[in-house]
Amino acid sequence: MGSRALLLVKGVSSSPVPKNQLFCNFNCKSNFPRPNNNWVRTNCSTTQSSGPSLEPPDLPRLAQTARISLTPHEVEEFAPKIGLVIDWFGQLQDVDLQSVEPSIRADTEGDSFRADIPETFENREAMIAAVPNYEEPYIKVPKVLNKE
Amino acid sequence: MISTLQPPRSLSHFRSNPTLLLRYTSLKPLSSLSSQPVTHSTITDQSQSPNPPSHSQILSTRHSLLSRHLTATQLAESFLTRLRLNEPHLRSFLHVSDSVLAQARELDEKIQRNEELGPLAGVLVAIKDNICTAEMPSTAGSRVLEGYTPPYDATAVRKIKKLGGIVVGKTNLDEFGMGSTTEASAYQVTANPWDISRVPGGSSGGSAAAVSARQCMVSLGSDTGGSVRQPASFCGVVGLKPTYGRVSRFGLMAYASSLDVIGCFGTSVADAGILLHAISGHDRLDATSSKREVPDFSAQFVSMNLLESKPLKGLRIGLIRETLDDGVDTGVISAVRTAALHLEELGCCVTEVSLPSFSLGLPAYYILASSESSSNLSRYDGVRYGNQVAADELNSQYMDSRAKGFGSEVKRRILTGTYALSAGYYDAYYKRAQQVRTVIQKSFKTALDEHDILISPAAPSAAYKIGEKKNDPLAMYAGDIMTVNVNLAGLPALVLPCGFVDGGPAGLPVGLQMIGAAFDEGKLLKVAHIFERTLQNCRFVPPLIADEVA
Repeated sequence: MGSRALLLVKGVSSSPVPKNQLFCNFNCKSNFPRPNNNWVRTNCSTTQSSGPSLEPPDLPRLAQTARISLTPHEVEEFAPKIGLVIDWFGQLQDVDLQSVEPSIRADTEGDSFRADIPETFENREAMIAAVPNYEEPYIKVPKVLNKE
Repeated sequence: MISTLQPPRSLSHFRSNPTLLLRYTSLKPLSSLSSQPVTHSTITDQSQSPNPPSHSQILSTRHSLLSRHLTATQLAESFLTRLRLNEPHLRSFLHVSDSVLAQARELDEKIQRNEELGPLAGVLVAIKDNICTAEMPSTAGSRVLEGYTPPYDATAVRKIKKLGGIVVGKTNLDEFGMGSTTEASAYQVTANPWDISRVPGGSSGGSAAAVSARQCMVSLGSDTGGSVRQPASFCGVVGLKPTYGRVSRFGLMAYASSLDVIGCFGTSVADAGILLHAISGHDRLDATSSKREVPDFSAQFVSMNLLESKPLKGLRIGLIRETLDDGVDTGVISAVRTAALHLEELGCCVTEVSLPSFSLGLPAYYILASSESSSNLSRYDGVRYGNQVAADELNSQYMDSRAKGFGSEVKRRILTGTYALSAGYYDAYYKRAQQVRTVIQKSFKTALDEHDILISPAAPSAAYKIGEKKNDPLAMYAGDIMTVNVNLAGLPALVLPCGFVDGGPAGLPVGLQMIGAAFDEGKLLKVAHIFERTLQNCRFVPPLIADEVA
């Protein structure tokens, strides 16, 4: 099911198809239970309620932000895959969520923070033993350059 | 004491049956390929027993030890034998403990001294490798943590040990839990015991395969979007995802903190329930853990002798309509419909229920999970633990350590999450996904106001071939449609095998998912236990070990 859907998406992935159309392909051709029309505006035009226009992912910049070096091969391999996933995320833009409160997680009566008092972790030696580069009493790192 | 089906009878039974004892004394050395490992099902002589063999390995272990019919060492040896025998085919373990036998011997000495035994005494437990263990490596299936041994036990592990459980080893997983097949482990691919050319599911594939192949009695997994329930379905075992907050997450390596829970695998509903009881409860080290009292789940396991003809009379069950649509394999749909009929025969009133927002859960889930992972996994920078790549400047050290340490799927999810959380995009992605979470929570609440439990398949298909979806991220994600909504709503859900579809040498198991209201694990366990005990003509022992577990 999913694989069928993806084949279709793959067929158009490299062409400059507007992203909502791409999403429609995925969603409509996959035989998945589709959202009720109460939730999805049936036209696939962009209906962003607010905020700046969403730029497609700029992989080298994201990699820099996430502190992950990517090889040129990885950039080539990841870009279409990440692009597909983000296009697919785009379907939520078309859902009417006005006046719905966001939930940060399930409400399960947690939030029982302990008192903000430092506590000593008893197995300190084992923790320090795990540090790759340690010189009592410091964790050693290479020089910190300021690019500016 | 817990009232269950078999133990009292089987106990008195093997007291009076010397041939069975003989079987153990003739146990061959570990290295022998022809050795016949001890299992609880071989303990019960089926020809003389009207009921299926003792179904709870935890309770059987207790009875065997207390009645002195087996020593903990014998039990441990027999499981280790089978573990080693099957491991070359399955590769479910990343690490096997070298102190299992020593712990078993220690326990035997305690028994000899008539000391009190913990409820999990002698129970052999495997732990998913993203759950911290102080004396064993914990890598989360990632190169970035290769060789890393944490300085503490996760709370769930600490509780298991305290109650007498013996940790057998650490099981394979998709790196940091990111995947649905266990193929995304940096170390090895685990095979499905029902057909070793197929995936065991994921991300807790090692824990599911190990229990299915009786390499251990029970195991812990983690479930962020279905990572306990889908592999349970693929491997034909019981998988239990508790309510968010029921079990402490302390020591579980965070993937998506608003969704992550630790869950349980067993070969029976009773074992999953007993293990859940052992690890549940408030923990001051996890601010989201609930202070709710943990009920005695085992009180739900009614003895079969006491069952009336309609033991679930009046129970309202909702079959989620959206989970039986065209995209789901016909064999799976028919197995689940048959399961619904079985529930009706037990007295339940089964009706279809619609969750209109169901399909929105999948993209919302992946936005939340990748966003939270991009933040949570920023800790793996090679400075305080894990693999460090030498560099002459700090930023390069971060970037190269992470580049070398993370696998492709993890990198992609971090990058995707970094994008979704970029300045100005929060409202469009993360916030919207959180709003969808509210919608989904409400629709579950409405459905669960009208029904006691909801049922659905655990996955749209049975186990598929290794490599089949490896390069199709969206195809892989699509397989999570049955499970992710439950995590968004934080609800408890239990998956148990309910039938088979064609495939492999002996058919492939299909799992039924039961979803309950928050903190209502007791009801799920009760219904699932009765379902399991009354299911006819199904025996979920994989062909790989069918000869041993006769």
